Amino acid sequence: MADEQTIESILVADCGTVNTNLLLLERVADSYRFVAQAEALTTIGPPWNDVSEGVVHALRDLERVTGRKFHSNGRVIVPREGLTGVDAFVVILSAPEPLHVVLAGLVPEMSLESAHRAAAAIYASIEAVLCREGGLRSPEETWARTVRDLAPDVVLLVGGVDGGASRPVMELADAIALGSSMLDSERRPRLVYAGNAKLRPMVTKLLGEIATVDVVDNVRPTVDTERLAPTQQLLEQIYIEQRLYKLPGVDTLSAWSRLPLLPTATAFGRVVEYLWHREGRQDRGVLGIDVGAASITIAACLQGELALSVHSQKGSVYGALGWVEEHGIGVLQQWLPEEADADQVLAVLYNRTLKPWTVPQQLLELWVEQAVVREMLRGAVQMAAPTWNGNIGNTMPSFDPILVSGGSLVHMPRPGQVLLTLLDGLEPTGISTVLLDPNRVAPALGAVAGIKPLAATSALDAGTLVSLGTVISPVGKARSGETILQMRITYEDSSVLNVEARYGELEIWPLLPGQRATVELKPNRRFDIGLGGPGRGGKVQVIGGLVGLVVDARGRPLVLPDDPEPRRHRLQRWIWDVGG
Amino acid sequence: MILPFSIVNPLTRIEVLRQLPQPGKVLVRERDIVESFQLVGEYTPPPQFAIVNISRELAVPPKKIARYLNVAVGDAVEEGAVLASRGGFGGRACRAPFSGTVTGSGRGRLLLEAPSRPVQLSALLPGTVARILPGEGAVIQAWGTFIQGVWGNGKEVFGVLRVVARGARQSLRAKKLDASLQGAIIVGGAGLDEEALEQAAEVQVGGIIVGGVSPQLMPRLLAVPFPVVVIDGVGKVSMSEVVFKLLRSLEGREVALSGIMPDLKRPVWSRLGNVERPFVAVPMPSQSGAAVDRNAPLILGSRVRALRQPYMGMSGVVVEIPSGLTLLETGARRACVKVEFEGETALVPHANLELLL
Repeated sequence: MADEQTIESILVADCGTVNTNLLLLERVADSYRFVAQAEALTTIGPPWNDVSEGVVHALRDLERVTGRKFHSNGRVIVPREGLTGVDAFVVILSAPEPLHVVLAGLVPEMSLESAHRAAAAIYASIEAVLCREGGLRSPEETWARTVRDLAPDVVLLVGGVDGGASRPVMELADAIALGSSMLDSERRPRLVYAGNAKLRPMVTKLLGEIATVDVVDNVRPTVDTERLAPTQQLLEQIYIEQRLYKLPGVDTLSAWSRLPLLPTATAFGRVVEYLWHREGRQDRGVLGIDVGAASITIAACLQGELALSVHSQKGSVYGALGWVEEHGIGVLQQWLPEEADADQVLAVLYNRTLKPWTVPQQLLELWVEQAVVREMLRGAVQMAAPTWNGNIGNTMPSFDPILVSGGSLVHMPRPGQVLLTLLDGLEPTGISTVLLDPNRVAPALGAVAGIKPLAATSALDAGTLVSLGTVISPVGKARSGETILQMRITYEDSSVLNVEARYGELEIWPLLPGQRATVELKPNRRFDIGLGGPGRGGKVQVIGGLVGLVVDARGRPLVLPDDPEPRRHRLQRWIWDVGG
Repeated sequence: MILPFSIVNPLTRIEVLRQLPQPGKVLVRERDIVESFQLVGEYTPPPQFAIVNISRELAVPPKKIARYLNVAVGDAVEEGAVLASRGGFGGRACRAPFSGTVTGSGRGRLLLEAPSRPVQLSALLPGTVARILPGEGAVIQAWGTFIQGVWGNGKEVFGVLRVVARGARQSLRAKKLDASLQGAIIVGGAGLDEEALEQAAEVQVGGIIVGGVSPQLMPRLLAVPFPVVVIDGVGKVSMSEVVFKLLRSLEGREVALSGIMPDLKRPVWSRLGNVERPFVAVPMPSQSGAAVDRNAPLILGSRVRALRQPYMGMSGVVVEIPSGLTLLETGARRACVKVEFEGETALVPHANLELLL
């Protein structure tokens, strides 16, 4: 690889579960620009069983699009020679299977909750939770059987504040040891112990003869404190070792890249962190949403602290059938603007799961897919919110900007549909600019930041992200149709528009991409628009976007009518409002 | 451009991976000729076990249970044997829940274990052992017809094929299923309803092949003892004509039907274990076919099948590959190709097509 000073072109391969996205970044004058993209199916499954083949398919497409050569003699050409090859090749992956984790702990609301939060920072699927709750007659037997039958990759054992409970933690350790000992040595889980520090020698002695034991700081050293970082770092390291580097064909990519492989969620988190520092506003957070086929990543940066929450197997394709099994088909039907029976909706979900790369050709299928994104996003946000620094209460803190990425959102046919799906799934509050990442460049730039920070920041600042518009979401209650917000919009050409927003409506006013306006806001005394409390207004600078200036006056929480006919009528109107 | 594909081929090289769900023992060698029923591997699941809490059952402190024990670590016990007892008023006894060996004790408890029975895997398809995956399984190779499906209920069988539906668009009817179909693998067209499924179970068919299936019937299909393989899609989907015609030409032949497929909640990843797709395989004596080219590009004349409505399940031939994007009903603009289906020509997005190889 060329040294950092001479890196002028960077190729990023983003290997997702369904698609592999190749992005080419190049130095243009003094800044870096995203210049070309190509996509192919990810080839981790049969008949290929080799992730590098999908990258080669996409490379051929990129060569066709750019008329340049990037791949020769079975490898990516690094470093660049004239217009051939690139200076650096970076790989990020969300394609590997999540790490299978069993959590074991004492109190669900304490250490186990912390363990959940620690595991949520990586691509992990929680296969089971071992704890004494539930009135088990023979808990040790149940725990041991669970470990033996599931044969997880990792058992994360927590519990007891430092110097606190010993016996219940050791009972769990005993059962884990028994369950593990019944597995062949290569199938035994790795034990991560993040509980009562006093027990470390005993746990290590008991389990060390059976499996690999890693000891990290207690996730809950005292009742009031939580220390997740050491556990999160270790789990990420295990994920990288056991999943990223064991993906079939990844050794080929690794040989081409010579840079460490990175989980996509980690790379996405870096971009959200950068945006927070770029905005430089201590009082506002930055939120990143990445909705993929297999997982949803929510990255929230508040007061400079990043909370990364990865919802594996809860993506818009592979999570949908499980979601319906748990919550019923009705939760999806409520989002459909036309009537569809359970059979029709389920058929769409099954066929999409069987052929995840396909696209809807009929409107009903599109509405079903968007309903899934709404519901999966709502679920992910609900789980992520408690991890946000300083988050209190039931309403979402104000985020500005909100970054939207991931194939399941950005591939929607119209920008208004992306925005409406986001508003329904996220229910933001206050004033937010919504930035769309149409080419899925954000995670790639997070990876690029690791080798050439200037390239990542200048590409981000050079219009890689497209504004959907500014959304104002007042929080409060009123009668339907009641005026809750008065606005005076002063455009850059000094023209003025005086408008009102009524409760229950989605109001949109023109403000084109690149345009700015000053908006004087006067909310009703019961409504909070994030400017200091209910009834508090003020003047704000807003930027336009593909949709415009949006007031989501539908209330928080958003409640849909129970009666199907009025509900469908309202959903149709909202779709119409955002441009169909 | 590389498209995903399904194999629907009257004469090709068939390779079927027979993989044990857990590491075990492979019972065949490379180049062995195997019959469908012949065992290719077996594994022994982890032992059955129970933790018997003597201390709690006898209501004595853990440190004092030694005097009440009738067995020691290493002893073999029969189901119901008394492991420990406490006499006197309100006397109690702890019995072995199954026959096994006492393998451990501690903290007032005994650990009882019993070996599990081995689980065996047959070849399913008569052919030659092409490759051995040490400790995992074997690849069986044969020549003949191979048809890949999209969904299966996890079961498999080898039996005689009988085409019951008259056409690709006709559903399987209960009244068409009689005792003469016992053990046969029957072919329906568009799908089947609950009544037909019940009748199929009643006459004990060997397996069912259909084009589509109602999603609400799928839990029932998972519970039936015979394999069900769906060829084209879920919902109201006819069987594609090309598949139906091929199956009809195989009436009366012995076929291997496999409904084994990855877990739909984590499909991509369980495919890493090489669990491929449900299939119908019909071994033939001829060896004149060719292996399919798994990297075949989409070109004029390619045989394709549509994967989404409104054309789902329909097969046809690519007659034009226009440049530029086409506006779909959804408002999306996509690269499309023109396909001549049976009696209809339509523009279909690349993404919604698969090659038929």
